[in-house]
Amino acid sequence: MSDASTFTTRSIQIAFVAIMIGVWYGVTTTGSVTPLFLPPIDAVKSAFIRLVQTGQFWSAVRVTLTTIAQAWLIAVVLGILVAYLVTRSKFLVAVFEPVIASTFAIPLTLLFPLFILFFGIGPNSKVAYAATYGFFPVALNTIAGLSSVNEHYLRAARSMGASGFDTFRHVLFPAAFPVILTGLRVSFFISFASVLGGETLSSAAGIGKNIALAAELMEPARMYAWIVFVICITVTLNFVVSAFENRRREY
Amino acid sequence: MLDTGAERPVAVSVRNVTQRFAAQGAAGTVVALNDISLDVRRGEFVCLLGPSGCGKSTLLNIIGGLFDASEGSVTVAGQPVKGPSPKRISFIFQESTLYPWYSIRENFDVSFKFQGVPKAEWEGRTRDALAAVGMSRFIDHYPNQLSVGMRQRVNLARGLALDTDIILMDEPFAALDEQTRMVLGEDLSELLAKTGKTIIFVTHSLAEAVFLSDRIFVWTARPGRIKAIIEVGEAHPRSPDFMLTQRFGELRNECYALLRDEVRQAMSLERDAGAPASAGA
Amino acid sequence: MTAAQAELPAHRAPAARHGFSYATRVRLTRWIIFAGLLLAWEVYGQTLANPRLISPPSGVLYALFSEILADGRIVTAIFESFREVIVAYVASILLGLAIGLGVGWSSFGRRSFFPIVLLLYAIPQVILLPLFVLIFGIGPACKIAFGISHGVFPIIVNVIAGMRNVNPLYLRSAASMGGSAVDVARHVYFPHMVPSLFTGLRLGMTMTLLGVILAELYVSTQGIGYWTKVYAENFDPAPLLALIAVLALMAIILNSLVRVGERRFTRWRN
Repeated sequence: MSDASTFTTRSIQIAFVAIMIGVWYGVTTTGSVTPLFLPPIDAVKSAFIRLVQTGQFWSAVRVTLTTIAQAWLIAVVLGILVAYLVTRSKFLVAVFEPVIASTFAIPLTLLFPLFILFFGIGPNSKVAYAATYGFFPVALNTIAGLSSVNEHYLRAARSMGASGFDTFRHVLFPAAFPVILTGLRVSFFISFASVLGGETLSSAAGIGKNIALAAELMEPARMYAWIVFVICITVTLNFVVSAFENRRREY
Repeated sequence: MLDTGAERPVAVSVRNVTQRFAAQGAAGTVVALNDISLDVRRGEFVCLLGPSGCGKSTLLNIIGGLFDASEGSVTVAGQPVKGPSPKRISFIFQESTLYPWYSIRENFDVSFKFQGVPKAEWEGRTRDALAAVGMSRFIDHYPNQLSVGMRQRVNLARGLALDTDIILMDEPFAALDEQTRMVLGEDLSELLAKTGKTIIFVTHSLAEAVFLSDRIFVWTARPGRIKAIIEVGEAHPRSPDFMLTQRFGELRNECYALLRDEVRQAMSLERDAGAPASAGA
Repeated sequence: MTAAQAELPAHRAPAARHGFSYATRVRLTRWIIFAGLLLAWEVYGQTLANPRLISPPSGVLYALFSEILADGRIVTAIFESFREVIVAYVASILLGLAIGLGVGWSSFGRRSFFPIVLLLYAIPQVILLPLFVLIFGIGPACKIAFGISHGVFPIIVNVIAGMRNVNPLYLRSAASMGGSAVDVARHVYFPHMVPSLFTGLRLGMTMTLLGVILAELYVSTQGIGYWTKVYAENFDPAPLLALIAVLALMAIILNSLVRVGERRFTRWRN
């Protein structure tokens, strides 16, 4: 893609965001939308500033981020472990891979009431729920990565006398790494969304709880402040991740 | 019997064709073809032989009406080319253009539909063309179920089934291994002797050019010009024994001598550009 | 890795020793493991487990017939969410096709708007759930709308992705044979898009189900959300598991229906 067309598409994307903000500004100042559904930008801005000034904001962010980190860690460790065990033989892959894949197609949110039953409404139920959801992309991608490594590489490594561990470290893992990395990324964003979802559904603390609470108390400005905050975080994370992936791709 | 065909009418006439492309990255243009003129007589088999990136395929696409020339004109049977003329010209491309989502039969059907052939003829023409290349058994297979060689064989049959006077072939055997390529070349020579079609054939392969052509147009590196025309003068159908003759070897060496410097120059052009030339071919 | 190597010959010579084909052995192993887990769960549920948290499968089965299917209100709630999923899914398909075709038609549209669509897709939409309830109320409208907002994105994304990378030779070949624009759309672009479209339809179904279930669970004053809340608060695992099982079964059936369609229309890919 040439520089000129990148410039054009970037301009259109920036224009899109500008238009969205313009429409928001327009419909709220003319009063064509009730402030209950969409409060004015200024109200959201001052609600956000008030929010940040209270300790409540940072404690909610801390709870949510800690929950996400714990859930993701569990998902990654379990996912890679299960994938490693399953890929020990082609037969096991044939037995388990389709089961894992089709389970992932069921809305696992159905299990959420169970986690509430087991762990209560504290952060633990959210960790369990998000880790369950986040486990699948890691396991599926790692299985795909490890079982599709070129047979010639493995044969070449063995012909040179590599041990099982050597083979894993120098051939299997590096060859599968790009696919595993995709799994880690997808898993992170799913864990992220699942924690927020769990907090929204049933929780005592965290960002999701605060959004639900603001809606319940009919305080749309505060709700939007949270929503915009989460969207900004997501967009930033996406840019960071794709910049990282683009740099890796250059090797 | 030796028929140079000099007295036959001209089927395709290219006059002063120049083609420029907008260059990628930097400003300016790349001249792909520089003032090309050539005539192809009816029933003649002509090869365009040259280094990669010299514009042979571009010329083929211009003759077929798929690209517009920047300058110059092409006439087919006396009429100027202003777009695809499916009734008169068919294409056979480097890789099979059989659609993977249709069976062989459906591929033939959809081609006939595109071309506007009456439905009553579809079945018979498909069967005849497949029989001619020995692929009748595979009429209800999907392209992905066939090997690359079989697929290109069917692709060839499809080109013939369209029953145009002129067939343009853009390195149709390039993706095949040497042995399959030779067998298909023999088949082609045999089929053509029967049908008397006019063929313009783009290739990289010296042996293929000498084995198939009545005349070989040897090209320079980019910007492409015609460097020499070599008459082969051997009647079709040609048997593989032709390749063992001294004359075959001499013609092949003559082509190679003409090409060697051009290929080196094409390679240095690629090096200077920093990447292999991908456009045009 | 040595285990994988050792398995190779067995894979190539499909288990003549056992008298079963490879595929049958795979399926058999799967069922044996499944039955084993069920049995272990039953034994654990009958003996050591806290009955306030875990019920054995037999208890779940009993609760399915004595509580879930016997209660007209719950059956109505299940049918209601089934209806919501179907309505939301159909709307997602129509909307997804319209937007996807609109954006994907030109390479300009793809380059400009595809990144925006992808970015919107990446936002965890669940944070908008309270807003949806605020706007649409707690009835079916909210659940359908939330289902659409989840289901529509994978369809848009895959329709757009499916319109990319059409082999230019196929287009040139069609032009040389005299194919019209309509011919090319019907015989080249559309079939090329089909596999990707079905990927979108499959993911769209999964996401629509997710959206509807999320909204159902969020609204805890009626429908399925109410019942799951009641069972969880009363530490009554048997009917809770039975209700979850019924909904999971619904999801499995809907997913398989889409998969059957997918296989039917993409046979040429082997």
